[in-house]
Amino acid sequence: MPIEVNGLFHSYKKGTPFEKEVLFDINLTIDDGEFIGIIGPTQSGKTTLAQHFNALFIPRQGRVIVNGANTADKTADLVTLRHNVGYVFQNPDYQLFAPTVGEDIAFGPRNQGLAGEEIEHRVREAMEQVGLDYGTFLGRDIYALSGGQKRRAAIAGVLACHPRILILDDITAGLDPRGRDEILGVIRKLHREQNITIIYISNSMDEVAELAERIVVLDRGRIAFDGTTREIFSHAEQLYAIGLELPEVMVIADRFRELGYSLPPAILSLEEAVDAISTALHEGRVAD
Amino acid sequence: MELTKNITLGIYLPGETFVHRLDPRTKIIASVILIVLLLFIRSYEAYGIFLIFTAAVIFISGIPPGFALCGLKPMLPVLVLMWIFQLFLYRTPGSDVIFSWWIFSATDTGLHMGNLITLRVLFLFTVTTILTLTTSMVSLTDGLENLLKPLRKIGLPSQELVMTMVIALRFVLILAEELDKIVKAQMARGVAFDRGNFLQKTKKIFPVFLPLFINAFKRAEELIIAMESRSYTGGKGRTKMKTLHLGRVDLAAGLLIFLFSALIVFIIVSIQPQI
Repeated sequence: MPIEVNGLFHSYKKGTPFEKEVLFDINLTIDDGEFIGIIGPTQSGKTTLAQHFNALFIPRQGRVIVNGANTADKTADLVTLRHNVGYVFQNPDYQLFAPTVGEDIAFGPRNQGLAGEEIEHRVREAMEQVGLDYGTFLGRDIYALSGGQKRRAAIAGVLACHPRILILDDITAGLDPRGRDEILGVIRKLHREQNITIIYISNSMDEVAELAERIVVLDRGRIAFDGTTREIFSHAEQLYAIGLELPEVMVIADRFRELGYSLPPAILSLEEAVDAISTALHEGRVAD
Repeated sequence: MELTKNITLGIYLPGETFVHRLDPRTKIIASVILIVLLLFIRSYEAYGIFLIFTAAVIFISGIPPGFALCGLKPMLPVLVLMWIFQLFLYRTPGSDVIFSWWIFSATDTGLHMGNLITLRVLFLFTVTTILTLTTSMVSLTDGLENLLKPLRKIGLPSQELVMTMVIALRFVLILAEELDKIVKAQMARGVAFDRGNFLQKTKKIFPVFLPLFINAFKRAEELIIAMESRSYTGGKGRTKMKTLHLGRVDLAAGLLIFLFSALIVFIIVSIQPQI
């Protein structure tokens, strides 16, 4: 289920004095099974672009084609499309609305017109995927959940629709480090085991570097870079000019290199960094 | 999907025009006068002149006419319904039936009443929209507070009332933005808000309100904390950074409003209403 974006422009509040152009000439293809990170400073158009992928925004100029269907086509089945392209929103408070966790997760499958048993099965499966215990949380009041649990419930609500593409909009904001790691683990597993295409929107370079295989950098509504993670981070200067910083692990690795240690190029995750640095320390400085 | 696009209530359009430069008190009083006049207008001639006047104000203040009117779009169904009710239900003993259908019959007085009421609502909306579009929240608050000050003597907490009103106005846009997000989140999980008959559509609205209300309460609570942490304790003893001054523009505007009111009053008195 590929996504193809051609010459997409978008302006917010079109036709009013507050009109603001948000996207300029976006061209992008996302293939099946990709793990793609979309980064950019705030107001760079990340969310607006991503909401074109599941037809929450319909292009007025340019085209968005999801699985061969043009979202601007009047006859396109947008409801099915939105089930196939799941979207987890920035703030779970906007997404969760049913009284209990179970009812909220069942909302999507029910809209798909599934039968009672199948819905129950989907709810159980989705809760297991995100690590919410079925027995404990099924009847739990939504507003009694912690921040991390709300995120999980929100993700489960989308997963229960069985999406083929999952858009995650800054989902780790406001989570504590452990909650964050657990959620990211869930995402990785979904990608690995079910080959779901993941579109991961974030402000955090560290997260994107660690997770994504490909990165699209947005700068004031334009695509500044589009390439593999390693390629992107070789443009440190330009990224800095846009207002983005290199992942911390890369900065640390660079400092070690400056000090004369030999480290492999392009270290992207904390684990890689730990391994490389301990090996380097063990071997001693190159100069010695 | 952009619900906030058509909202003009509570939005300020910064500018440097004659209308923008007026003292907020002048604008508030002028709006009140216009609103009172509207309540008494019962003839199309007076509405015609009123239309010319408001159009001129919109032109002078540099508000794009389309934008000034787009706030009316969401109200349109209500207006049409109101007009239909008046058309069929309002009648006086001597009114002629224009046409009848089944048990309903439309009368000429009903038609006239429907037109008048619809026009009245349209103009009421336009006058208040012009006021808020050309006056920033801060000066609107200052102006209202200043005008209501005498009422403090009889125990009316004018400052608090104005603050509450201004916050409410501000929340219109905030709530619309939140509604936009909630609607999107539900569309993303397969709700088709645009599909189904009236009843089905109405049913789909309910799940939207729960998160909206809960978020609104949360926001209100956060606002209270933010205000209290900046030592807000109500209106007593508050001083102003900017004091209000009436200038020459206000005199000119006052004169204009006076002449216009006189004209409208003359029309109201001299032209017999059709009913």
